[in-house]
Amino acid sequence: MQREEKQLELTLEALISQVADLKNSLVSFIYKLENEYDRLTWPSVLDSFALLSGQLNTLNKVLKHEKTPLLRNQVIIPLVLSPDRDEEIMRQTEGRVPVFSHEVVPDHLRTKPDPEVEEQEKQLITDAARISPDAAQKQIQSLNKMCSNLLEKISKEERESESGGLRQNKQTFNPADTNALVAAVAFGKGLSNRRPPGSGASVQSGQPGAGAIIAGASGIQQVPMTGAPAQQQPMLAGVQMTPAGQPGKMPSGIKTNIKSASMHPYQR
Amino acid sequence: MEAPPVTMMPVTGGTINMMEYLLQGSVLDQSLESLLHRLRGLCDNMEPETFLDHEMVFLLKGQQASPFVLRARRSMDKTGMPWHLRYLGQPEIGDKNRHALVRNCVDIATSDNLTDFLVEMGFRMDHEFVAKGHVFRKGIMKIVVYKIFRILMPGNTESIEPLSLSYLVELNVVAPAGQDVVSDDMRNFAEQLKPLVHLEKIDPKRLM
Repeated sequence: MQREEKQLELTLEALISQVADLKNSLVSFIYKLENEYDRLTWPSVLDSFALLSGQLNTLNKVLKHEKTPLLRNQVIIPLVLSPDRDEEIMRQTEGRVPVFSHEVVPDHLRTKPDPEVEEQEKQLITDAARISPDAAQKQIQSLNKMCSNLLEKISKEERESESGGLRQNKQTFNPADTNALVAAVAFGKGLSNRRPPGSGASVQSGQPGAGAIIAGASGIQQVPMTGAPAQQQPMLAGVQMTPAGQPGKMPSGIKTNIKSASMHPYQR
Repeated sequence: MEAPPVTMMPVTGGTINMMEYLLQGSVLDQSLESLLHRLRGLCDNMEPETFLDHEMVFLLKGQQASPFVLRARRSMDKTGMPWHLRYLGQPEIGDKNRHALVRNCVDIATSDNLTDFLVEMGFRMDHEFVAKGHVFRKGIMKIVVYKIFRILMPGNTESIEPLSLSYLVELNVVAPAGQDVVSDDMRNFAEQLKPLVHLEKIDPKRLM
């Protein structure tokens, strides 16, 4: 007996807190609708609805919880009805119910649904009783199948549109650029001032590997240029400017050039 | 056989053979901001650090076919920082399971007469570039997002132009040899940057 009472108390507390949350979200939603209706967007309205639906769900879960005693078996009886203002009730209901009197009680403590709703429910119950259990089972199955089909279609559509959109708009990296940058850092492809960039590619493929050797002064030793003579200047100074974004294509004749041009200071 | 973790290795003097584990990718200029936001969230909480470095690559050509490469880097925006000399070996041909590029690496801080010293030793500058970007850290991992600028007139770091419309993204760890678990951590981190950036092991020899 005592355990049930305790359970009842706990359940009531949980219910009260849930209902308070629900009330708060309703209040904020109404405020939003009344005051910000000109700036309101559909996603924001959807958010509020989703919030309310979530809270209703948790309320349902609390009611269905196994530790909840059968509230149906409890009865609420008003003990005292008075037409005077009751401060306690005012405070509890935030000023909405000032008097606990004969007109207020039937509305608030009602357990029967409205007459129209009761009619509809009776109708539905008689309809349901008329169908045989097999037919009912078949109807349930077909409903489930249609719902799952629909869900599948929606999720597939969502996935496809998402990935398609990503591929179209959000190309965040370019593999060709990656290779060009890695080559630049690893061995200076497209970087050095002694290698004419991009537009000289066709010229370079024609020339043989060993061009003239420019023996620079004690400073920078220059590898032979395989471009036209005009390009054999140590300083490019803006003559050969690759348009940004086009890393030059370098011939790999550089190895042979090094052999022929090696002027190691320590060589005998 | 995997080497025991660093904390258990006895200190016998000399240097530990350090390896650099590397993953590289790139991101287009317009997506840089989203990448930086994501990195700021994923990485250790520190002040966003930008850098502007000038790197010169020096070659020593001997009788052998492949020249010896040393990289000298100096900071252009931070005063008082030492020059940084780095040697990077050939990438280790590990099994395909290793997720990152692994190569031997030696890092040394030097004074600022480094270029004169190298030239006297017989090195010649092969190429140079300017790197400008951001650096982030997560534990021992370092993530660098930078743009490479070509230097138009040798020696003049003011006249530079960007090499491409992308930023290079590098994830690297310098750790002792044999710590293969590092590359697993790197791969997990790289997963978090998809689909913005695809960090992968790019063999530079393939791009020659």
